[in-house]
Amino acid sequence: MPLQASTIALTLLILLIPLTTLRILSLLPAYRPRPRPKTRGTPTRLLIVLGSGGHTAEMFALLRDLDTEKHNWRSYVVGEGTGLALPRRTNGRLESEKAEQAYKQEGSHEAEEETQGYGGYDISTIRRARHIHQPLLLTPPTALRCLFACFSVLRGTRHGEREYPDLILTNGPGTGVVVVLASLILRFLGPGQDRMRTVYVESWARVKGLSLSGRLLVRVVDRFVVQWEGLEGVGGRGEFLGVLV
Amino acid sequence: MAETGHRPKKLCFVTIGATASFDSLISACLEPRFLEALAGTGYTHLVVQYGKEGKGLYDRAVSKSSRVKDLGISITGFDFNRNGLGQEMRAAKGESGGVEGVVISHAGSGSILDALRIDVPLVVVPNPNLLDNHQVELAEALEEQGYVVHGRLNDLSAAIAQSEELRKRHKQWPPVNSGQHRRARGLAGVMDEEMGFLD
Repeated sequence: MPLQASTIALTLLILLIPLTTLRILSLLPAYRPRPRPKTRGTPTRLLIVLGSGGHTAEMFALLRDLDTEKHNWRSYVVGEGTGLALPRRTNGRLESEKAEQAYKQEGSHEAEEETQGYGGYDISTIRRARHIHQPLLLTPPTALRCLFACFSVLRGTRHGEREYPDLILTNGPGTGVVVVLASLILRFLGPGQDRMRTVYVESWARVKGLSLSGRLLVRVVDRFVVQWEGLEGVGGRGEFLGVLV
Repeated sequence: MAETGHRPKKLCFVTIGATASFDSLISACLEPRFLEALAGTGYTHLVVQYGKEGKGLYDRAVSKSSRVKDLGISITGFDFNRNGLGQEMRAAKGESGGVEGVVISHAGSGSILDALRIDVPLVVVPNPNLLDNHQVELAEALEEQGYVVHGRLNDLSAAIAQSEELRKRHKQWPPVNSGQHRRARGLAGVMDEEMGFLD
């Protein structure tokens, strides 16, 4: 009975629409369950997106007093392209400062404890979604490649195990938009849906209006932080926490 | 005394940043009127970071300023330092001898933050050629709060006088959070909540 088969198929399709809608709604910050409670020392993974000069400088200012005992594994994502060498070096400096800090804090205890408190870090680079001057028609393949690169970075391979980040922190570079988009797609499909919470910090350079990245992400990230009082409550989300950089 | 004796080193450092070219700032800081303002305020040195494409313009402007020698200001320039500009900013602060001078910077947030942290008087000059020009907003907001001088390309010499006022007022960065934000835990608090650290 070909008619019946097509009716079943149609019914399934119609059922799929509200289910998909519900699934998408469940990705939005208002409907997400609270993160699982953790105690100091629980293995965690923080993913930090680094962009070009200004964004990176701000990010390191934001992370000045990062608690490396709580955030004991840090994955840095760098967009491939111009300032690649600079973030690498700056990043190495930040991490060595953090290691030194951890060393000082824990004084003359066993070396093992020190390294435990400090944890570790990795750096990956992601290809650009679109090269400068690339024809628009040729963008889909490169954008797709970029997206797949994000999936593999998000999955992570720490100690050979797959491990989604608990938290993604970005402050405005274009790469951050792609990373957050990739995390949404993964959560839609299932993997890592109870992790990958997202915090967006709007650039300190934005005083009166949001950047393009900010406008794209304001509704989908779990927390949206602004750095000027005038932007408090922007998009119904903006949180002003005082000066951060 | 200042005329006869040896004047203490006082340095003005101009930076256009690494990403975009900023020809109008290079020209403005080598204009005779600006150099006169510098000399009149006791400056002895001018260092210009002119970027990858600014060398030609810089060389022409320096050779055109024939009166430079009379003013007693030594002018040097370089394209960019990949290790950052902290050294030059600290020299402007007066850390390598002499008295505190000034930094004149493009309005990129990285350079502004560097200068604010080194705690040297800062003149911020937004680049009018950038498309999405939110830099003006930042310069205006920071000037309003008394942290920087918002420099205008058409009258950069005025900014030198204003920076002397800024030096006297001296407001340190970062500001101490006040009011409801005084005890806020800032970004660390948000990250703890999102990670699930409830202590």
